[in-house]
Amino acid sequence: MEDTENLTKVCHNCQSEILTSNHYCNYCGQTQNAEEIETAGFKWSNLQQLALFFVVQVLLCITPAIIKENSIFFNLSLDVVMAITTLIFFGYSWAENKYLLKWPAFSLKKLLLFIVIASLASVIVQYLVTHLNLILWNKTQSYYDTFSGHPYGKYLMILSIAIFPALFEELAYRGYLMQKLINIFDEKQAIYISSFIFFIMHFSLISFFWLLPFAITLGFIRIREKTIWYGVIIHFIFNLTACLYELVDYDELQHLLNSLQ
Amino acid sequence: MIETQTNTFCSCCYSKYTLDDIFCKNCGYPLQGTKHQQDSFISDRQIREIELEESNKKIKSATNSLYWIAGVLAFWGIIFFAMNQDSGNDGFVIFITNIILSISFLALGAWSKTKPAPALISGLSLFVIIQILNAVVSPISILSGIIFKVIIIGYLIKGIKGVLEADKLKKELNVD
Repeated sequence: MEDTENLTKVCHNCQSEILTSNHYCNYCGQTQNAEEIETAGFKWSNLQQLALFFVVQVLLCITPAIIKENSIFFNLSLDVVMAITTLIFFGYSWAENKYLLKWPAFSLKKLLLFIVIASLASVIVQYLVTHLNLILWNKTQSYYDTFSGHPYGKYLMILSIAIFPALFEELAYRGYLMQKLINIFDEKQAIYISSFIFFIMHFSLISFFWLLPFAITLGFIRIREKTIWYGVIIHFIFNLTACLYELVDYDELQHLLNSLQ
Repeated sequence: MIETQTNTFCSCCYSKYTLDDIFCKNCGYPLQGTKHQQDSFISDRQIREIELEESNKKIKSATNSLYWIAGVLAFWGIIFFAMNQDSGNDGFVIFITNIILSISFLALGAWSKTKPAPALISGLSLFVIIQILNAVVSPISILSGIIFKVIIIGYLIKGIKGVLEADKLKKELNVD
């Protein structure tokens, strides 16, 4: 009698033919998920490594608040230190992370679509955040204040707010952190945990409504496309739009529009 | 060719087995082993089941500590609000912040019922960050309620470890 549903495999231990649905080999008693049990043993030490990553990130993010310094030089050196720590963590797990640096299914159409969505979303978020800050705390938030004194202030601001975070936050959170979490839990839980940690690392309760969705979206894109480069570019465009939103001189823009008409 | 005719049930997991099976294909029970082998198999499995129960208890305590954090935050928010009513905007800001954080921990607590790992890790990270931010604003605040904080952090870490242990034990028992 031939039964197509009863697919068979070979037991690793005694090489006898058994059903794929067997939890144990019915000839030698060998458990059929030995590999899963073995990897489960490494999970706790992987989680400890993530705890170290978390503590280092918190300490770096909190430094400006402790030292109370806000010069251009300080900001840029902190960016460089963060970049180096990210590279160390990412490089330490190079073997499991390197596939993320490839771009297997490059699509210009998709990229352009993401760029448009990211810049639109950024304008909306900037508009809401500016108004929320005014209503709730009666203050305006400015990134440019720090950089305004320098002749190349605008370029340094874009370097420090758009380029550095886009590249190194993606490498750290969607790269290293998420990859480790996928190995410990599953893809969905990895997205949730890394997004939540990404959100609280910004120390801003008010940004809850856009940072979490932003991070979750980037997480899904990274899992689906198996690359961090879409995330890097979306993050860059999002932050760049935020910079430009602040830098654009609205009187001049109005003037320009009037002269066109 | 694998025999499909079933004769009797495994005395460990009650699944069907055929006469030429040496071990149960569902739980690994030595069907044709000696009495001693069968007894030690059963007791080994029982130990793992007890360990699994203990891991689940750890997860439960960690879940409860998320609710405790929510309660304490809400309590101090209200106390602070009542004590600083005349001082104006600052008291209100702290009150609102505490209430938002309290609701976040309630939500994490509810979430930990279905997805314990992300909820507990998020809860622990948020709790630690709140403590660090408070310590930056006023360093002495790290000492207030230090015992409560240490116990809560201990329960949360044990809970996260419990999730991994339960995961491993389920694989060793080959259930789910």
